Amino acid sequence: MRAAVLLRTGGTAAAAVLLLLLAERTLNEYHLRLLNVVGINVILATSLNLTNGFTGIFSLGHAGFMAVGAYAGTLLTFPVARKAMLLPDLPRWLAQVEWPFLPALLAGGALAALAAVAVGWPVLRLRGHYLAVATLGFMVIVQVLATNLDRYTRGALGINGIPPYTTLWWVAACVAATLVVLGHLLDSGVGRALRAVRDDDLVAQALGIPVARYRLGALTLGAGFAGVAGVLWAHLITVISPGAFSFLLTFQIVVMVVVGGMGSLSGSVVAAVLLTLVPEGLRRLEQGAVVAGLTIPPLFGLSQIVLACALVLVMIYRPAGLLGQAEVGWRHLRHLRDLRQRRLPAREAEERG
Amino acid sequence: MDLALYLAQQLVNAVSLGSVYALSAIGLSLVYGVLRLINFAHGDLLALGAYAALALLAVPRLPLGAALLLPVALVGAVGLAVERVAYRPIRRAPEVNALIVSLALSVIVQNLLVMTLTAQPRPFHLPPQLAGLLLLGGVVVSRMALLTTALAVGLMTALHLMVRRTRVGTAIRATAEDRDAAELMGIPTDRVIGLTFALGAALGGFAGVMLGGQYGRIDPFMGFLPGLKAFVAAVLGGLGSVPGAILGGYLLGFGEILFVGLLPPALSGYRDAFVFTLLILILLLRPQGVLAGR
Amino acid sequence: MRTVVLVLALLALLVGPTWGAAQPIPIGALYGITGGMSSIDAPGANGMRLAAKEINARGGVLGRPIRLVVEDGKTDQTATTTAMSRLINVHRVVAVGGLNDTTFVLAAGPIAQKARVPFVTAGATAPQIPEQVGDYMFMAPFGDDAQAYVGADYAYRTLNARRAWILTDQAYDFTKTLTRFFKERWTKNGGTVALEDQYRGGDTDFSAQITRLRAQRPAPDLLFVSAVPNEAGLIIKQIRQAGIRTPIVSGDGFDTPLIVSVPGPELADNVHFTTHAYVQPDSPKPEVQAFIKAYRAAYNRNPENAFAALGYDTLYLIVDAIRRAGSTDRAKIRDALAATRGFKGVTGTITYEGGRRVPKKSVTVIKVTRGKLAFAAEITP
Repeated sequence: MRAAVLLRTGGTAAAAVLLLLLAERTLNEYHLRLLNVVGINVILATSLNLTNGFTGIFSLGHAGFMAVGAYAGTLLTFPVARKAMLLPDLPRWLAQVEWPFLPALLAGGALAALAAVAVGWPVLRLRGHYLAVATLGFMVIVQVLATNLDRYTRGALGINGIPPYTTLWWVAACVAATLVVLGHLLDSGVGRALRAVRDDDLVAQALGIPVARYRLGALTLGAGFAGVAGVLWAHLITVISPGAFSFLLTFQIVVMVVVGGMGSLSGSVVAAVLLTLVPEGLRRLEQGAVVAGLTIPPLFGLSQIVLACALVLVMIYRPAGLLGQAEVGWRHLRHLRDLRQRRLPAREAEERG
Repeated sequence: MDLALYLAQQLVNAVSLGSVYALSAIGLSLVYGVLRLINFAHGDLLALGAYAALALLAVPRLPLGAALLLPVALVGAVGLAVERVAYRPIRRAPEVNALIVSLALSVIVQNLLVMTLTAQPRPFHLPPQLAGLLLLGGVVVSRMALLTTALAVGLMTALHLMVRRTRVGTAIRATAEDRDAAELMGIPTDRVIGLTFALGAALGGFAGVMLGGQYGRIDPFMGFLPGLKAFVAAVLGGLGSVPGAILGGYLLGFGEILFVGLLPPALSGYRDAFVFTLLILILLLRPQGVLAGR
Repeated sequence: MRTVVLVLALLALLVGPTWGAAQPIPIGALYGITGGMSSIDAPGANGMRLAAKEINARGGVLGRPIRLVVEDGKTDQTATTTAMSRLINVHRVVAVGGLNDTTFVLAAGPIAQKARVPFVTAGATAPQIPEQVGDYMFMAPFGDDAQAYVGADYAYRTLNARRAWILTDQAYDFTKTLTRFFKERWTKNGGTVALEDQYRGGDTDFSAQITRLRAQRPAPDLLFVSAVPNEAGLIIKQIRQAGIRTPIVSGDGFDTPLIVSVPGPELADNVHFTTHAYVQPDSPKPEVQAFIKAYRAAYNRNPENAFAALGYDTLYLIVDAIRRAGSTDRAKIRDALAATRGFKGVTGTITYEGGRRVPKKSVTVIKVTRGKLAFAAEITP
């Protein structure tokens, strides 16, 4: 079996690399930029799904973790010369560092994870909406700190001229890492334990699962990936400011998770892709047009209304999200094929060894 | 400057602000009680109320009371319609779906307002009887704030009494406690839920009128922040509890004003952080909210 | 399965053929037409569209019509940057105009710079923008340093004030920068600062700050308020309601009808602010009158604020540069922009002097007396 798995993984990876090379050759800057944003949103959505969907923690603070990562990563990669200009009051050790991208990515994720531990420790005692409000509070506090700690963040002015390190390859690598880590985690015993915690934490506790520790772990891991996404985002947009990490951003990610299906990793991927690309595609609606001699004036905001209506329809007609709790992957495709060919019992016996 | 006078002034402002939050929070809390839904479009109901009042105040010869209270009915009707069209179909779905729907509704309302009325903030002209200030022992109180606070207190009391003393109120409480049991007992839960939603929306609409009057300008996004704070206030007081929402609203209003008033200027930028830290602390000490249960 | 088809269909929509014939010259207009910036960006877009219509009615430029492509940045940094990228890579515009906020300009600017597409911001006033973005970045309005210096000079020399109280909104770079430059000039002139206080955009109650102001001894004779339109009217109202009649001075954040409508004519008194131009029907300038008339004809209302006029001027500036360049080559347009001398617009005359891409432009001071606006001074710092 191992050979087959290795072959499959290798094949998928090779195909992905080829696709990326093709994309880089043929697509223009705009499309490449979109792909990068899609990738970042995939990381954000899947990591939030780990926390909210699989572990049942109603966290509204994801933008806050993203902000921690973004600012941390930026302060580390920002060229020393520019630091002297824009951030003259940084402490000496920070003012003199200029890190390459990879360590900054890791540091951003690590700091966000640390923030999650600090916040989660007290706050995870709460449940449901109370937890939601508390995590919302955390996000507000991060925003306020970013706006007021001028020495480190330039406050409301934000930091601009961030080196544009984010490329398709970096995003793809981070997306792959996120999906591999989360995929394996959720497939494993730990993953099942998390679902148990979500479904009924009393029973889970009775079964011997260290509920508090697992919840904190889920929050921390989710936050870590959000931090990485934040570093990627900062080095793509090249400007960060406190206003960018707002409640609106958190909600955009929550929508992706819910629309994709709160128990489905692949659902989050699909939703992230759709909800990033569809608004862009809808831009044309806003230009206004001349139809049969009638001039339709440009109607800005129409694309958002259309998207919102589509969202409502999805919620009404597919309440569990587009993929519900199902997953899409090689194993599942094979399962579907087997179902169709009624080869199921034999296959299951084979897998059980 | 007299410390006592200063505090008195701050108190007056806090009561005003608190009333706005309390009104909005009641609406949210009530709806949560029967629907288990946190309506993130609540803030936009405030904006609708303000715009409705603005339009009505411009109608010549319309008595003042009507201009201020008709928006309440109008927004209540909107709430009824929204519940029927958007929330009823997803009543059996997971809670967070309704959250998404409410967010989508918020986007739709805001964008429609921007498209039809533009995002330009509009002045909220008060008729001469309401414009102007009173000086009560050195403390400045605007007539509009006084009137609307009095009306707000009246509305809240009326609502509280209704929920506690009337049959309709009992029906609401029953539906909130156990919808299926209530239905089995013959309570028309669909209609009760619709009514609750309408009531919550109506109160939110009046909160919008208050906001517009006190601050003199309205715009399509004016309800976003108060809506969020209403949510915080409702949670603070204990979701589903009307007195809790009122208490939460005033607590939040007082907290905000006092933090700005008592903090040294250099720290006043941290005001929101202080308020939320306090909120988190309260929640940690009383996780069900200050007045859990009804 | 349905999902897959849907996704593919949408991708096709996206990557599909781009429109745009060879003949019209595509120029990009990028604004936050929806979202929080709408009240200042939507008028800017309207101004640009009006200018485009007028230009095409007169035959366009270089014998070709222009096609103004308006993209909405949605007041979101990600959406704004993708919109800029779309303008450049999909619509292939020869130049871009728009955006009134420094943060968004700094996010979108580098994309235009990297693609060597000239970008003229219609309303962002942070003077370091062109240097930070690059040589393809131009500013149509004056810098905050210019308007703050004029404000400080006017307060010191015309209003004869010596002791200032400063209130700054901490939520925007614009307001913080304005205060910084004001203080610099104020103290250089010899003025003193009694107290510096602050608030955050979105606040609606300023009684704490006003109380601290009242406690100042000796009382300040100037109130410098660094605010954006949303709070401008409120702050004036509450200060005047507290019985304080000291002159209030501000920057172009006060350029909004709200400074009269919110406090009411009684309280909107003794307020002075610097701005791009006096865009009122009673302006003595014929170009302002013509603009107001044209705007009203096109949109059924008076221009909401100066940003409408700035958008209008920005497109005319770009088209003027195209004409002088004699070509739609982007590098030539950039050079023509850099060589702009004495371009007459509704908001003033633009000259890019000495290689600077922040224009030398006059600052208008407007005075509000009992609810009536009046032109007070036009000063070139």
